[in-house]
Amino acid sequence: MKIPALPQRLRRAVEDLRRKEDRLSLLLSLVIGALVGLVVVAFILLTGRLTSLMYPAAGPGWRRVLVPTLGSLITGYLLYKYFPLARGSGIQQTRAALFIHDGRISLRSVVGKFVTTTISLASGIPLGREGPAVYMGSGLASVIAHRLGLTRLQIRSLVPVGGAAAFAAAFNTPIAAVLFSLQAIVGDLHAPILGSAVLASATSWVVLHLVLGDNPLFNVPAFHLVSLAELGVYVVLGIVGGLSSVGFVKLLLWLRARFAKLPRASLWIQPLAGGLTVGIFGLFVPQVLGVGYDQVERVLNGDVVLKAVLILAALKIITTSVAYASGNAGGILGPTLVIGSMVGASVGAVAHLLFPASTAGAGAYALVGMGTAFAGTIRMPLTSVIMVFEITRDYRIIGPLLISNLIAYYISQKLQKEPVYEALSHQDGLHLPTRGSGAQPGVRRVSTAIRDAPGSLAPEMKVGEAAERVTDSKFESWPVADELGLVGLVRTRHIEAAVKQGREDMTIARLMQIARRSDGERSVDLPHVHNDQPLSRALARMRDNGHKVLPVVSRANARIMLGVVTLADILEEYGVERADQLDYRDHPDL
Amino acid sequence: MKTPVVQPAPTPAASVSEFIATFAVILVTIAGLLLFDTGLARIDVSGRKLFAAREFDTGQRLIAEGRIEQGVEHLRAASTLDGENSVYGIALAQATLADGRPRAAEQMLMPLLERDPASGAANLAMARVLTKEERNADAKAYYHSAIYGLWPQGAEKDRTAARFELIDLLARSNEKQELLSELLPIQDDSTNDAAQRKRIAHLFVVAGSPARAVAIFREVLRRDQRDAEAYVGLAEAALSIGDFATARTDLLAAQKLMPTDSTSLKSRMILTDSVIALDPTQVGLSLPEQVRRSRNLLELTLISVRRCVGVQAPQVAAALDSAGAMLLLGPARVAGQAQSIEQNISLAEQMWGLRRSRCAPESQDGALAIIHNRIAQ
Repeated sequence: MKIPALPQRLRRAVEDLRRKEDRLSLLLSLVIGALVGLVVVAFILLTGRLTSLMYPAAGPGWRRVLVPTLGSLITGYLLYKYFPLARGSGIQQTRAALFIHDGRISLRSVVGKFVTTTISLASGIPLGREGPAVYMGSGLASVIAHRLGLTRLQIRSLVPVGGAAAFAAAFNTPIAAVLFSLQAIVGDLHAPILGSAVLASATSWVVLHLVLGDNPLFNVPAFHLVSLAELGVYVVLGIVGGLSSVGFVKLLLWLRARFAKLPRASLWIQPLAGGLTVGIFGLFVPQVLGVGYDQVERVLNGDVVLKAVLILAALKIITTSVAYASGNAGGILGPTLVIGSMVGASVGAVAHLLFPASTAGAGAYALVGMGTAFAGTIRMPLTSVIMVFEITRDYRIIGPLLISNLIAYYISQKLQKEPVYEALSHQDGLHLPTRGSGAQPGVRRVSTAIRDAPGSLAPEMKVGEAAERVTDSKFESWPVADELGLVGLVRTRHIEAAVKQGREDMTIARLMQIARRSDGERSVDLPHVHNDQPLSRALARMRDNGHKVLPVVSRANARIMLGVVTLADILEEYGVERADQLDYRDHPDL
Repeated sequence: MKTPVVQPAPTPAASVSEFIATFAVILVTIAGLLLFDTGLARIDVSGRKLFAAREFDTGQRLIAEGRIEQGVEHLRAASTLDGENSVYGIALAQATLADGRPRAAEQMLMPLLERDPASGAANLAMARVLTKEERNADAKAYYHSAIYGLWPQGAEKDRTAARFELIDLLARSNEKQELLSELLPIQDDSTNDAAQRKRIAHLFVVAGSPARAVAIFREVLRRDQRDAEAYVGLAEAALSIGDFATARTDLLAAQKLMPTDSTSLKSRMILTDSVIALDPTQVGLSLPEQVRRSRNLLELTLISVRRCVGVQAPQVAAALDSAGAMLLLGPARVAGQAQSIEQNISLAEQMWGLRRSRCAPESQDGALAIIHNRIAQ
């Protein structure tokens, strides 16, 4: 019997592997976990090494102004000229890649993110490494999947797996990493990638420990509840943490909106505003520089001076907001923890001052404050609880943490409707799926009922002309579009009513204006749905704004119409028989 | 008619060779990155350790110069840079304690103890913190952990120092039984030098075991007959037993060996003379002298009690004044002199018991305390 040559056997094994999707997924999860873990470790080490070169011990004060200024200038230019997709945190870019570009992230963007974030963080810009790491991890997974010739669905499923691996290595929290990936990237805790994400996260975590040893993100003393009355202080911490999170998010979004209004040509120099702000504050308060994990370690270990932590909390909120909004490379996950710890330490210090016998030191509050800020800012209370639990490795913290987190989450939800990443995506003109709107098996999607859009009407078109176009049409609403894309919908009956009243000369734009006033609260500027949304969402939208036709628009740009979905098509998709479609010939008694 | 507008993007399916080649590139990249990261981590660790050691030295120097606050900052940097080195963490905690922040020092020591509960140095540092916080019961437990904990090789001195610190704490808090039980294991420790043995002997006196103290002092004197401190120790032991004459003899012997004399020796001599002059139970005294001394003892005891309770309860002090005046009127009111002596001594003893239960000992009552101690025996 002839034994096949090794290459042939290998070829067969590979073919076999490619056919068995679950085995391939298992193998790729391990490989992605290891690769992403190593890249993130390299990222952490390089950033640390460069930081110590930029800021040598007992260096002169002017360095604290010059280094962040120059750093932001260099990254600003690199981001503008070579890596435009590497700007910002990376979380919303990862989501955009997943939901708009079928999970495609280019190697160039990954390299760009690595280079620009390393320079940015090493120069003392107070942003975090975790968001960029998630983008790099997701990007690497995407690149690998693409190069291996995997299907669109397989690429999409590997992107969050890479993200989980990166988060696990960046924060040293493997369980929270899985939750974060499912919640923040996929938007669905029940996504079928859970197993792969767990495997990649664990592999990445092992790699981290292999190279850097068993060092937690923070060395934290044992937590203990001094008295039950202390829970009241944790309620206060939840309120203060929630309010400060809302303040931080609102300031960041407001500043980002202001920067977005500046001319596009100034994009390369905008990060300089962040660098200069950080430098000037850093000249007087050096602790402002960098993400501030060393400061967190200090307060967690009880080294708290009330005035100092209060000032630092305020300055961190300001500098992080300006640095991020002006377009520097870096994320907000790390700074959120830093701000939370400072706010928590402040509340704890005041409580301990007032009730020294019945409250723990400020360090315990700083710890809970970190989770509170995460729950209030990022809006993931469960991930936050697990993450702090993983950081502290202390189960006793769960009770106070849950109380503070839920209060902060509630306050944040009430005062800031959109979670920060969704709001950032909207500022970029991206309409990504919200959390909880994720895929559920068997759910019918808009894509199954979409049809070609009828020719749109121009806003300056006269009603008379429009009436000629819409006559005999089955559509009860018509899209209205200008040269930049979709601007809204106009109802056929409104056009007909205007004609009946002899207002043929009125423009469609004017008619829409009148209709909007008459609709009152139901009026929406641009009612729409996305291709990947469930049909039930389309029905709910129709109920809310009264249109029986909705444009289906791109998630990358809501003014790009991909088609329309009608009530009739949705009902047909659900198999609901309509009276006008019954064949009366078969039913003579009718 | 419905037409799907968005078509799934066609994905280029790689050939098997491309698939294998890509996988090979990934594996090579992983291996390369592992080498790169390991190398970078080593450089990072050695750099950090070096920097941490420098910061530690600077911190220790500043603390030695009394610039504790600045020293703490450097030690903190050392501890942050090399978190695995518990020496830095312990030094930081001790400096923080010296800076008057025992609570913060305790917080710093907790993770170190969690990581290594048997660490002798960490337990000793924690015991010091708790002693500062006057949590003596907890402090004693940590002292015990330090004494029986793990120390680096050749650190027996540190272990002994820990035991002595515990002994000092027990002596300060007047816990005689525990003090005795800590002293007994080191009583015959041959590694102790003369100074340490004399210290142990002195502590035996404090623990209420003067006989053991005498044995140690005598043994010290056997080795060096010119050790004045040993004679002083013997005198101290003799005083606590109530053998005032021997105490005086020992003090005189010490005085001969220390002609330049020290103030403490002089004050001891004065104290011993006062005790001898006050003692109503001294053998060989005439009956009138015994009466005089017993009345004197009662009078001094009443003064001491009045000083003590006068602040707390002025009415009791006033009552004591009148009772004292009645008692000290003279022998005419008493049936017999012998009975008078016994009554005076008995009353003085009761008064002293009252005083001891309400007030801390005072230095000016030194002789009185010794006499009453003797009477109680």
